Order: sequence, then structure tokens, then C-alpha cells
Amino acid sequence: MSRVAVVLFPGTNSEDETQRALIAAGLDAEIVHWSRGSAALRAFDAYVLPGGFAYEDRVRAGAVAAHDEVMDAVVEGAQAGKFVIGICNGAQVLLEAGLVPGTGPLHRPTAAFAPNASGKFQSVHVHVRLAVSPTRIPVLAGLASDAILPAWASHGEGRLAAPDAELDTMERNGHVAFVYCNARGERIAAPNGSARGVAGLTNVAGNVLAIMPHPERDAWTFMHRDGDADKAAARGNAQAMLAPSGGMKFFHAFAAGLAARRVLR
Amino acid sequence: MSGVIERAYVVTLTIPDNEAFTALTTLARMGLAVEAAVRSDVWIATVEAEHAAALDGTITTIETVYNPNKHRLEVREDARPRSGEVWITAHDETPAITIAGRTVDGVRGIVRRTSWRLLDQHGADVPAAVLDRATESFLCNPAFQKAIR
Repeated sequence: MSRVAVVLFPGTNSEDETQRALIAAGLDAEIVHWSRGSAALRAFDAYVLPGGFAYEDRVRAGAVAAHDEVMDAVVEGAQAGKFVIGICNGAQVLLEAGLVPGTGPLHRPTAAFAPNASGKFQSVHVHVRLAVSPTRIPVLAGLASDAILPAWASHGEGRLAAPDAELDTMERNGHVAFVYCNARGERIAAPNGSARGVAGLTNVAGNVLAIMPHPERDAWTFMHRDGDADKAAARGNAQAMLAPSGGMKFFHAFAAGLAARRVLR
Repeated sequence: MSGVIERAYVVTLTIPDNEAFTALTTLARMGLAVEAAVRSDVWIATVEAEHAAALDGTITTIETVYNPNKHRLEVREDARPRSGEVWITAHDETPAITIAGRTVDGVRGIVRRTSWRLLDQHGADVPAAVLDRATESFLCNPAFQKAIR
């Protein structure tokens, strides 16, 4: 079984639900406190940076954590082909570290998850669609083509910003892993104003993924937004409420990708 | 006096600045020889000249901008960084017409930037190359911010 480190920075607040989803997907997931340092991380097969905040997002969301000593192991691991996922604040950290889109040197980000166009923190239920072939993104190799995932977008700084030329490069070279869409998979304007509707980015090798919305917050039926038909139908039925929902596809795909990589090795 | 002028209000904490300390720790981790980091909020107002003096006074009454118990306020008649400073702002900086929710007579617009000064062990500004590296690798993300020197 693959060992996955859920990396906790000071201010992270989504580590428990992320770990729970990873375990439900059949992975051995352990929360690793940043103060244990990079040495504690190196034995793991993969890393997940969950959402929340890191160092109060001082200077800029993700900027301080991107330089944290514990990130040495994450960067080394990513460069060695280990799988790395960042969700929300974790995505901001990966971008600030230069791991995604990975088109520039480390710590020289070529894009940003900038403050939302609204200027406000937003928490909204969304859908995202896989925008590349699953073969382009080994970290989620288990996803079906055009997979649609439900998630909660919950951030103040999730608007992808980059020069047009860089956005063109990202689209042309398959760095745009997820885009915002409706429940039918049709592209929609991003609720945060993200450039070209981008919700998630991957790197050149496809072993690193940064995604702003939280799939782990819609991993079970009870996590759907109020008013959702499935949730309404499940009301009063604990078993139905605890049934895995669309967000779990993300974590099963991650587990499948890890399993495939172990077979290749 | 007539016309519209710019006024810069540079507000710096006089109590320990946790954000500056965190930045300093990160800069040390990056291997930069920096002994202290000074962070300031810079409020740049475009104001009708005849209201500028009144604005100077009004600013001191808006405690979310300036609290005399924990801030030092410097009023500048030009809105440019001094030597050794770098100001960080968004590319799409949009002026507000209120200050902390208040409308102030004569103010046409106001923007907020962050100023950084990095000091060496003698309390002098670090060499420009050090400030450049700190800016390019940490203080500014050029994808949505610009650094003004």
C-alpha cells in the first residue's frame, strides 16, 4: 500500500477530511507536521498538501510555506517523479514553489493564484472537468476522460493570473488540468474570475497537480450543498448520507495512479 | 492652490511586526544576509490640492489605517519609493474612493501598497542585488504583482 504524507503547515485546516478521503481510497495516509522537517517526509511515496492557510498567508498565499524547509522533500520528490497534490492553499504553495505549471525555475512562479475578482473570500459549490487526457496526468491516471467532479471552492485567492503568453503556453502544453464547468460538464465562467476558467494546473511530467476547489469536501453525500437532490433523498438515511460521492473519484484516481506507478517500478 | 496631487501615507508598526518577522525568517532560509525587514502599508491618495492638508489630519483619525498606539505615520508629498524601498502592488491595482469605508472630501482615489526595506547588521539598507533577489524570489509574484523601486 502506498504511503501518503498529508503535509500540515501552521494554519492548515483541511488535513482531517483529506486524510479521511485518502484512507477511504485505500491509501496509507499520515498527517505530517511541518516541524518534523523534510527528513520525516522522504520515506513517503507521495505528498498531499491540503487546504487552509499557511503561516497566515503572510506576504502572499503560499509564499512563505513554499520556502519552508519541509518543502525540500516535496520539491525533491516531485523532481524524482513522486506524486504531489496541492488542494486550495496547498495549490497556492505548489505554484509559489514553481512546481506548477513548472514552466520556470523553482521559486520564480510564472503564474499566480491571485485574489478573487470579487475581492472577497468565496465559498461556493462548483464542478470541475478534467481538461487533459488522463494519460497526460499520471497523478490522476485513474480518472475517466472528461471526468466531472463536484467540489467546494472556498478561497479568497484562487483566480489564476498570468500573462497571456504564459496562459497560451499552459493551454498548448496541457498544463491546464481542470476547468470550471456546470454539472453537465459545460465550461462556465469561473466564480473567482480565474483566467480561462482554470481550476487546476499540472506540471510538465503530470506528477504534480494543484487544484483550487476541494474535492475532499464533497466526498460523501452529506457534504453536498443543501438543496441537492441526492442529499435530499438521503435525508433520514444514515447509510445513504455516508455513501461516497463524486469527490471520491479524485482520490480513487490518485490511488489508482499510485498503484499503476508501483506496478511499473 | 488648485488641481489634483498625490499624497502618500506610509504607516509602519512600532510594535513587533509578525509578518515582517516571518518574511525575515524566510529570507534567512533563502540564504540572504538580511538582519531586519521593515514592512509598511502605503496609502496613496489622489486628492484635490485644497483638501490635502485636511486629509493629512483625517488619516490620523482612521484607526484601521493609523493607530498612534502602534503605528508610525510618515506623510510624503510624492508617491515614490525612497532609496532602499520596494513597493509591491497588483498589476490591476484599482483605486478605491473610500478609505476604510469612509468617504473623505476631495479624495479622487486611494490605493494601498506594501513597502519593504531590508536592513543589514549595521541597520543600513542591504545591497540592491540582495533586495532584487528577495523581491524576485519571494516578495513579489510578477504574474499578478509589480515591484516599484
